[in-house]
Amino acid sequence: MTRTWPFAAIAATLTLAAACNRPAPPSTPARGRSCGVALSADAGSDRDIAKLQQELREERAPARAAEQLGYRFISRARLSNDSGFYKIAEQAAACLESYQPDDPSALLLRGHILHQLHRFGEAEAIARRLVDARSFVLDFGLLGDALMEQGRLAEAADAYQKMIDLKPFYQSYARAAHLRWLKGDLDGAVRMMGSAVKAASPRDPESLAWGYARLAAYELQRGRLDEAERTAAASLQTVPDYASALLVSGRIRLAQKKFPQAIELLERAARLNPLPDYEWTLSDALRAAGRHDEADAAEQLLRRNGAADDPRTFALYLSTRTAARVPRADDGQQAVELARHELTVRADVFTLDALAWALVNTGEVHEASALIERALAEGTADARLFLHASVIAAADGRPVEAARWAGKARQLRFTLLPSELGVLQGIAVTPPRA
Amino acid sequence: MKNLRSMLQLAAAAGLLMWPATARASSHMDAPLITLDDAANTTDVYAFVSQRYGRKYLTTALAVYPHEEPGIGPNKYNFDDDVLYEIRVATGADVARGRTTYSYRFKFTTTFRNRNTILQSYLGVIGNVGDTAQNLIQRYTVDKVDWRTGATTRLGHGIVPPNNQGNATPKYNRNDDGEQRARDGVADASALDLYTAQAIAELEDGYVAFAGQRDDGFYADVQAVFDLLKLRGPGQAVDAQGGFNVHAIALNIPIEEIGGDRQVVGVYATTSRPRVKILSAAGETDFGDFVQVARQGNPLFNEGLVAIKDKDLYSRTSPELDATLFRKYAVTPELAALINALVFKSNVAPTTNRTDIAGIFIPDLIKVDLSTGPARLAGGGASHATNPDDPGFSRLSIFGGDTLTSAVQPGFGNGVVPGGWPNGRRFGDDVLDIAVTAIISDLRVSPPVIVGPAGDNVDRNDIAYNKVFPYAATPLNGRAHTH
Repeated sequence: MTRTWPFAAIAATLTLAAACNRPAPPSTPARGRSCGVALSADAGSDRDIAKLQQELREERAPARAAEQLGYRFISRARLSNDSGFYKIAEQAAACLESYQPDDPSALLLRGHILHQLHRFGEAEAIARRLVDARSFVLDFGLLGDALMEQGRLAEAADAYQKMIDLKPFYQSYARAAHLRWLKGDLDGAVRMMGSAVKAASPRDPESLAWGYARLAAYELQRGRLDEAERTAAASLQTVPDYASALLVSGRIRLAQKKFPQAIELLERAARLNPLPDYEWTLSDALRAAGRHDEADAAEQLLRRNGAADDPRTFALYLSTRTAARVPRADDGQQAVELARHELTVRADVFTLDALAWALVNTGEVHEASALIERALAEGTADARLFLHASVIAAADGRPVEAARWAGKARQLRFTLLPSELGVLQGIAVTPPRA
Repeated sequence: MKNLRSMLQLAAAAGLLMWPATARASSHMDAPLITLDDAANTTDVYAFVSQRYGRKYLTTALAVYPHEEPGIGPNKYNFDDDVLYEIRVATGADVARGRTTYSYRFKFTTTFRNRNTILQSYLGVIGNVGDTAQNLIQRYTVDKVDWRTGATTRLGHGIVPPNNQGNATPKYNRNDDGEQRARDGVADASALDLYTAQAIAELEDGYVAFAGQRDDGFYADVQAVFDLLKLRGPGQAVDAQGGFNVHAIALNIPIEEIGGDRQVVGVYATTSRPRVKILSAAGETDFGDFVQVARQGNPLFNEGLVAIKDKDLYSRTSPELDATLFRKYAVTPELAALINALVFKSNVAPTTNRTDIAGIFIPDLIKVDLSTGPARLAGGGASHATNPDDPGFSRLSIFGGDTLTSAVQPGFGNGVVPGGWPNGRRFGDDVLDIAVTAIISDLRVSPPVIVGPAGDNVDRNDIAYNKVFPYAATPLNGRAHTH
């Protein structure tokens, strides 16, 4: 149970007292540097960060303060889209390790930071150390996350199964849902995310909102637009201006061809989260509504920061522009370079797809075919993936397959952006032979 | 020390921090990494001998959802349909073994009258429980499982009353006014607020059940305890749980249903979630058997005596393993050493060979002597105008002279046993003060050496308890509450 019990408090107090009464530990240069960075980082309006910094500064339960600071800065990085906070979190982890070398909590924090920084192999190594040492439920979560990003879904499933066997709860349900979705079990993903939403605490509204937003995305994919709309609204009711819920709400309106409403939602989302996924969707919505100047402006923003902010999605955008025959010079080649580099970092379904899609648009059809085959092998049911598979099959001289994939993409068309729908409509339909 | 409130918050957050992933990684399983599981998070278990309409009962109650903020919106504090809530009773030889003899399983089902609205819980002012203004409706079933035979018996079902939002739920509150504070507890069932009264379910074989939002009946100055045990004086101490609700399940078990009253029984509770197969083949069901995710017996044990590294293990295991896994924490309680170091600056509290403490906690069941008369109950304090504490009630249980007489054990001589915890646990037992007093005293010798009673100067709950079923106090009003 997690009641803040006085006796637990007393135990913590002793730790505090010990910290207060003892002389400050010798300040090693490493400790000085790493803790100094965590201490001097701008807390902004985050009072919790300021308090933790104060505690660390005063050496009151400093290891605990450093640990919590690390997680706070990870959270801040996500909410602010400033990856610099990951670096500060990393320094907090180093600070924690200076107090508690090889402590599992320090390792877990570092593992999460490495995961966020897309250093999946290193995160996996840490997760394996933790699993070997103690097998806590979140250790298996980190292990599964790191494996999944590397495209090792069977191993990830094994880790997640161990996690959920230890404790079925929000975290394990959410992971189960995601894995099911990746394996093409959309109905199973909906059921599992439903369990996650039920298990989320109102005391953690972001978790509840995140679960609802994911559920809305699944429902959108199923084409159940009313249910998707209701679920997205529940997310926004829980956390108003929750960017990912605004994004999925905008996409639902796009699927409903309610362009003005979509634009209003997507503008809010992109303001909150100016990332390629958001800006691409907004620009497409604006263009679909005939507001081309505004669409151009949104794309300018996307082109300015896309490669740095989310190279994989930006590569998809560039490739789709190329496929739609509205590329700028070098779009195709830049997409290939970005996707190829991303593949050195992670080898999951969507990175394989991004590179395949980039390659086919630059005429490298055979490699694209091989990559999309690998991407499709897990069974992921995703309209974008099917669209790309269709174009690649057509380019590879396999019209029957092209038609089959196009048909699958049409079934899930609700999640395609207008520009992608344009590409889909341009595919010559050759009905599969009976 | 500065920023201790922050530290407290951190302590509360220790198991529940979220560390979400980057938004850039669109394929990430990027759920916020919270570890909260409030719907399954047991906060307190109660068990005591009671009497209702002339019948003798073992009253049991389980509370979940710590720190329910009454004013939250949308008010989504609910029992979780996926959670199995289980009140467990050990009888006979099972008590010492920590083995369940009977368990009572509560399973919930949630429905909405109207899903085409953002008004998740209330569509209007609720006149009666389950009426058309109550959008979110939870119903439950209660099953009795006899663990010796495996037989399961359906005892009945009930409905969960609405949470106390305020104007939507006026009848919880004074003068049936949603703007006013929640009604105090009552001494007579006829005076219960309408929603609570309507949600009391009379089940088969004389069982009585209730499930719904209630005031959090636990009280203590957690901040002061945390603040290097620098306790505040009378009138200055702060009830850290004041102003918060919980969700509670109460069950009156007819004594004869568990073998009569010539015995001491053990009570604890668990919550479990169904085992899930992550990747299921077509046609396979998602859920299998249940995995225990939390358990609760005596107050304090896992929270205050078990080391961090073993807390999760405690939650997953049965009391049958307590003697093997956790006895060390009771026999050599770290807490005793901490109190000596921080408060007394000398070795007042015995720190080793605490067989007296182990006797309370190992196995971690609340032991209840059923042979006594009904426990004295807390109302709103000794001088409450309409609902005073029962004469002789003491929040300090035996340390306040509140005792009962057993017909089946010698107790402290002539059958004298505590009137409250650790002989059962009543609403209103000041378990913090009782526990600290027990820790710094020496109950191994006869007569016991009592030091104290010690206390945090929070001596009462923030709202009067009911002295009638379901005993837990009225849920605090989201529109008018403290903190």
